Amino acid sequence: MKVLGFIVTVLTGALLIYGTLDMPNYGDPDSPASSHVSPRYITDTEIDTATPNIVTSVLADYRGYDTLGETTVIFTAGMSCILILRRRKKSYKV
Amino acid sequence: MLEFIISKYNFWIYIILMMIGFYAMIAKTNLVKKIIGMNIFQTAIILFFVSTAYKSDATLPILLNSQGHGAGHHAAEQVIEVSQYINPLPHVLMLTAIVVMVATLGVALAIVIRVYRDYGTLNEDEIIKAIK
Repeated sequence: MKVLGFIVTVLTGALLIYGTLDMPNYGDPDSPASSHVSPRYITDTEIDTATPNIVTSVLADYRGYDTLGETTVIFTAGMSCILILRRRKKSYKV
Repeated sequence: MLEFIISKYNFWIYIILMMIGFYAMIAKTNLVKKIIGMNIFQTAIILFFVSTAYKSDATLPILLNSQGHGAGHHAAEQVIEVSQYINPLPHVLMLTAIVVMVATLGVALAIVIRVYRDYGTLNEDEIIKAIK
């Protein structure tokens, strides 16, 4: 099992390293990730939200509903932790 | 050749880190070690995304000389150079991913505590034997 897992790991790693050959270079200012949407956030964030920190303005203003959904995730995780760890007297066994 | 390695080595480091976590997830039999592997895997993904945000010779995505609420009136006067700030979007998405990571870690550890309470072991093979 350990040998099989190691082989699968090495194959997956080789595939991913092959995939990085098409990635943009480290620190490239014209990479696709930073040339389509993000310039709009950088230039317009002060006019739209009057917040100097762009990460904050995207998190709390542009993507406010996403952050609201995040709190739902945290709430669900907390509730499920309580429900899993709660000791019930009827089915109590160690 | 050296330039090629320098322009891609960050991705390779994160792939090696990710594969360490992947191996722990599929080959270890201890459930806590599997969870640690999952955490390493997620951390590698977060590092990968943050590294795609980097632009050389750029600073943090916090505006210099910000005018706050007065910015709307003087917008034409101040020109913001996009290449001066690194890409803020991967940072925001990885904040969301960190939240999901903490949530999954918490629930997974709670399930492991529950399994240990019921079966008295964390070894996967012994648990499967006990179920049968």
